[in-house]
Amino acid sequence: MTPRENGRKSSYTSLWLLLVAAFVIIFTLSCFDSTPSILGYSPKPSEMANSILRGNTHDEATSLCDDTDTDSVSGSPATVPVDTATQTLLFIGDSMLDGLSPRLAAYANASGHKLYSVTWYSSSSKAWAESGKLKEYIGRIKPTFVFICLGANELNIKDIRSKRKEFVAKIISDIDTIPYLWIGPPNWKKDTGINDLIAESAARGGYFKSDGMEFERRKDGAHPTAASAILWMDSVVRWMPEHSFHPIRFDTPDKRTGRPTKIFTHSPEEI
Amino acid sequence: MTTLQSLLHNVGSLLTYSPDEPMLFSGGLFWALFICFMPVYALLRSRRTQMIVFVIAFSLYFYYKSSGFFLLLLAATSIIDWHISRAIVRLKSRAGRRRMVALSVVVSLSVLCYFKYANFFLWNWNAMVEGNFQPLDIVLPVGISFYTFQSISYVVDVYRGSVKPADTWGEYLFFLSFFPALIAGPIVRANCFLPQIKENHHADHNEIFGGLWLIICGVVKKAVIADYIAQYNDLIFDNPGGYTGFESLMGIIGYTMQIYCDFSGYSDMAIGIALIMGFRLGINFDRPYRSKSLTEFWHRWHISLSTWLRDYVYIPLGGNRKGTARTYVNNFLTMLIGGLWHGAAWKFVFWGGMHGIGLAVNKLCRPYTSRLDGKKWFEISSLAATLVYVSLLWVFFRAQSFGDSVAIISNIFTSFAPESIVPFIKTRWLWCVLMAVIAASHIIPQRWLDEASSRFISSRWIVQLLIFIIAVQLVIEFAGEEVSPFIYYQF
Repeated sequence: MTPRENGRKSSYTSLWLLLVAAFVIIFTLSCFDSTPSILGYSPKPSEMANSILRGNTHDEATSLCDDTDTDSVSGSPATVPVDTATQTLLFIGDSMLDGLSPRLAAYANASGHKLYSVTWYSSSSKAWAESGKLKEYIGRIKPTFVFICLGANELNIKDIRSKRKEFVAKIISDIDTIPYLWIGPPNWKKDTGINDLIAESAARGGYFKSDGMEFERRKDGAHPTAASAILWMDSVVRWMPEHSFHPIRFDTPDKRTGRPTKIFTHSPEEI
Repeated sequence: MTTLQSLLHNVGSLLTYSPDEPMLFSGGLFWALFICFMPVYALLRSRRTQMIVFVIAFSLYFYYKSSGFFLLLLAATSIIDWHISRAIVRLKSRAGRRRMVALSVVVSLSVLCYFKYANFFLWNWNAMVEGNFQPLDIVLPVGISFYTFQSISYVVDVYRGSVKPADTWGEYLFFLSFFPALIAGPIVRANCFLPQIKENHHADHNEIFGGLWLIICGVVKKAVIADYIAQYNDLIFDNPGGYTGFESLMGIIGYTMQIYCDFSGYSDMAIGIALIMGFRLGINFDRPYRSKSLTEFWHRWHISLSTWLRDYVYIPLGGNRKGTARTYVNNFLTMLIGGLWHGAAWKFVFWGGMHGIGLAVNKLCRPYTSRLDGKKWFEISSLAATLVYVSLLWVFFRAQSFGDSVAIISNIFTSFAPESIVPFIKTRWLWCVLMAVIAASHIIPQRWLDEASSRFISSRWIVQLLIFIIAVQLVIEFAGEEVSPFIYYQF
């Protein structure tokens, strides 16, 4: 073998060793639920080990939205008359509002309601409860009905009851006597109890269970697509007259989506 | 099921064909398989025949993982075209050779048209006759547009005498199924590739680690930047009327950068893997948004496709040899075909047609604008005009319908809402940072990029390892829960 051939072989060997070393490191990190912190930074583990040791992690995820709703919802008080008055709606929550809010706006516009939408990206019940933002918006907008969509960023939290119960309760107490509906998160994986916690904390007919519905997801695997979110909001609206403790009038909109009267956004850094 | 059985089951599932989980260069499965592939390849590199057989086997498995038993279609294409190319060389009469070329082109295009355009044609036919259209249940084999074009160019080049036919079917199958370029290009030309198989060139240190550098750049472009910025762009295109004009504008700019990072990132990975194996596929993207005209843009964007269209569509149509008017028509027709190649929908035809018109206008104005060449203000305005035109056409390329495209663009003029600028930057600061990175990569001098590559190649092994791990960790940090398919997968 010539020295040149030796050089090539050694280059291939060093590249191979590099790929193997990197693979071993990344794979090893993926075996841990939480990785060690390096200068305050904890690397996010990959799904490598999950794929091999526990099979495809997406098996539990649901897909493809259909428009069945009543089988997958909770809370069914005795039917109360629909409030036909014009409403001022406040819709608060996490990034799921990107999909839900345009459809609710279409309903609001068709029904003569005003909709104020507050999207706080990556937010959780903890962030809303501790920040006082909900009270602030209620004081400012004076809504007659509040929609909430929170919980998607809390599907994984272990020991959820001890960590979140007070915050879910605080949000509901901040709303005070205003009628509300908490739209549960559209689970893409099995949660650790956030849906049960919200269902227990909310008034009967104040919680719409989205878990169990089927959604077509965006590329991130979590958020429903725009089309799927429209069907999701449609399901909520159809559910309300029979199950909500304070159903309000919604006329069928001509347009698929609309724009809220005003949109407020908050970045994850504000958490 | 025992743990071992469960483990074997999971590994088996990972290795078998799954239409929802194609094997991507930026995925862990490809990485693991490439680790197994490399030492065997390095050992067989000097034994040409064994190396060819081994690479073909790996390429066919790679294709099977993405397209299942459509690999038989790929093999059939290679058998037919290799035999036709041999026949072309043997035949003495020009008419006979022409018939052979026609046979090959008709067979290749028929297969492509059936899989890719049958439903499109049927849908249009039904729309004309107001029939009740039921789409055929046709699955599009991954990468069929790429390898069909490769095969056509090979047969035509053999006919023209610019390429000697592959000596063996194995050599030809190696060329057609070469896994780095198989499913999303670049479109490899036989006159460049077949001699490399014969030459049996062994990659040296610079090529091996230069290839790794290209892979790292490609992974960051595709799996970090493109996939991340796509999340916002998708919001805009999924709900065209639901955002302010400023947000729509950001969506348009975002998609312009996304499609570049997505496709050029994939090309970089493909070129890098090939380079590690000692094969040069040529450059496919040359910082296209630096272009000062549409003509220049097509010299920098998807170069392997644009040169293919030039050599096998534009020039056979007459090119610029039949007068000015005919040149414009040829340009327009070539771009229409280029548009249709990207997908079976009118929006792609429109996109291609508008590029054709743009190129014609560009050529028409050239005699008047050439005297302004070298003037800074003219260069900046030309660059801006080209970027705006290209970006607006990407809207039609991406949006679900013509109406959606118009809604997104008109939104910029009807409800710009400057008050949304600050919340946008605050909320999506990382998106903005990534956009700035792409812009910077177009502005900085080429020598800086070359210098970065040289420094990586000459770095110590541990530094290279660290850079590689950082790139992989970035992918993990940025990744969503599902793999985002390459935009060009569908073409």
